[in-house]
Amino acid sequence: MSYIVEVRDVWKKFPFKRERPGFKEFIVNLPKFVKRNQNSHFWALKEINFNVKQGECLGVIGKNGGGKSTLLSLILGTIYPTKGDIRVSQKMTPLLELGAGFHPDLTGRENALINGVLLGLTREEVAERLQAIEAFAEIGEFMDMPIRTYSTGMYLRIAFSIAIHTDPKLLLIDEILSVGDEGFQKKSREALIRLIKGGVTTLLVSHNLSVIKEICNRVIWLDEGEIKAEGESSKVVEEYLKHSL
Amino acid sequence: MNAMNREFERKKDLLWLLTKKEITLKYKRTVLGIFWSLLNPILLALVLFIAFKIFMRIPMENYTFFLLSALFPWNWFSASVTISAGALIGNVNLIKRVHFPRYFLVIATILAQLVNLIFTLPIIAGISCFYGVGPGVSWLLIIPILIIIQFTVTTGICLAISMINAYFRDMEYIIGIIINMLFWMTPIVYPLNIVPEAYKTYLVLNPLTYLITAWRDLFMSNLIDWKNIGISFVSSLVFFLMGIAIFQKLGKRLDEVI
Repeated sequence: MSYIVEVRDVWKKFPFKRERPGFKEFIVNLPKFVKRNQNSHFWALKEINFNVKQGECLGVIGKNGGGKSTLLSLILGTIYPTKGDIRVSQKMTPLLELGAGFHPDLTGRENALINGVLLGLTREEVAERLQAIEAFAEIGEFMDMPIRTYSTGMYLRIAFSIAIHTDPKLLLIDEILSVGDEGFQKKSREALIRLIKGGVTTLLVSHNLSVIKEICNRVIWLDEGEIKAEGESSKVVEEYLKHSL
Repeated sequence: MNAMNREFERKKDLLWLLTKKEITLKYKRTVLGIFWSLLNPILLALVLFIAFKIFMRIPMENYTFFLLSALFPWNWFSASVTISAGALIGNVNLIKRVHFPRYFLVIATILAQLVNLIFTLPIIAGISCFYGVGPGVSWLLIIPILIIIQFTVTTGICLAISMINAYFRDMEYIIGIIINMLFWMTPIVYPLNIVPEAYKTYLVLNPLTYLITAWRDLFMSNLIDWKNIGISFVSSLVFFLMGIAIFQKLGKRLDEVI
């Protein structure tokens, strides 16, 4: 059995001081910085090991700052592990922050093309799907207007619509999204759940434990960068609840 | 194999779209649009023509032509370097949220600026005709070669600068000075042969010296000096490899600093 995602002994360190020094300060205080950089950091993730199988939906739960989002970013490949190894053998579709890379001066259509290619399609494939994307987003003639004229809701609608029309093979979700108004929220949630239940491999970070219990086969509980528990959804969620109370 | 082809196709599409985005955005809210890419160099040529024909008469034949033949290629370089400083830090959202080759952002910037150079070619050809030289067939072969060489060296430098700028925003200010210094150290406003013998050996350290000279030889007199082109090529490769090394080394920790 081959895994879609393999995470082997992954550690991730962040420097504590996020404020970066200027060039002059850096040169003047070089020895100090070298010394300090060795000490002041924290481990966002420690010794993380797990696998995700084809078609599985893995939930990730835990307190804020537990390392959940860092873990997703690592799998996505936008940040690198300090130690360890991550292997992903499928095309990823991140639903972390919708509309990443949208440019306000470009139209919905132009942005959809770029975003679709960024999310793993070819230009031709996006062009074929543009109609479906447009239909799902239901933003009418705004499709050909610059994104800066959009309302927040419209922005999220088009962004979400692009993301789910890219044939996701591996979904990375940070919170099941509440997109747009009542009607579209329901529609987008249903579309996502249909994808997940339809066998798309999914990593789902959420604080909504009932959703986790409902759609995840397996759950990982991250606490202060370490895996505190892993296993069957309802069992891990229960354990987590007991601990949090 | 099929999947590899598809991925290659996709990367090509992505680079093309990012480049197109740069070009579209540059002129998005203007009336004349991309026509500015043609108008700008024409106006520049006129200004220089007036300046050096009337006010500051340099005792050299066709000085405006002499200057423009080096200035147009130089402008591609300097605009690329200046703009690419923000290529990474201006796209934080993209870098943090989507997985794609980050160097595409830098290359798209350089390619978008290349459009400007291409628009200057007919102007240069026109001036060449005006002075009775006329563009030769050799242009068709040498221009692409020089573009590739300049693209190589520019990419190396821009990769390094865009990445260093993510760590030290001071880079943005230092660049202005460096560009200025390079401008005067490159034979643009003066010919290569007025540089004192003693300093000539150091000129090779500047990757643009022989490249700009090669552009000028071609534009002004249809001359092809393979030695100049060869030196430019080798030094462009050196800068290219250095740029890649810096980009990769610092790129590992980019997420922590932007």
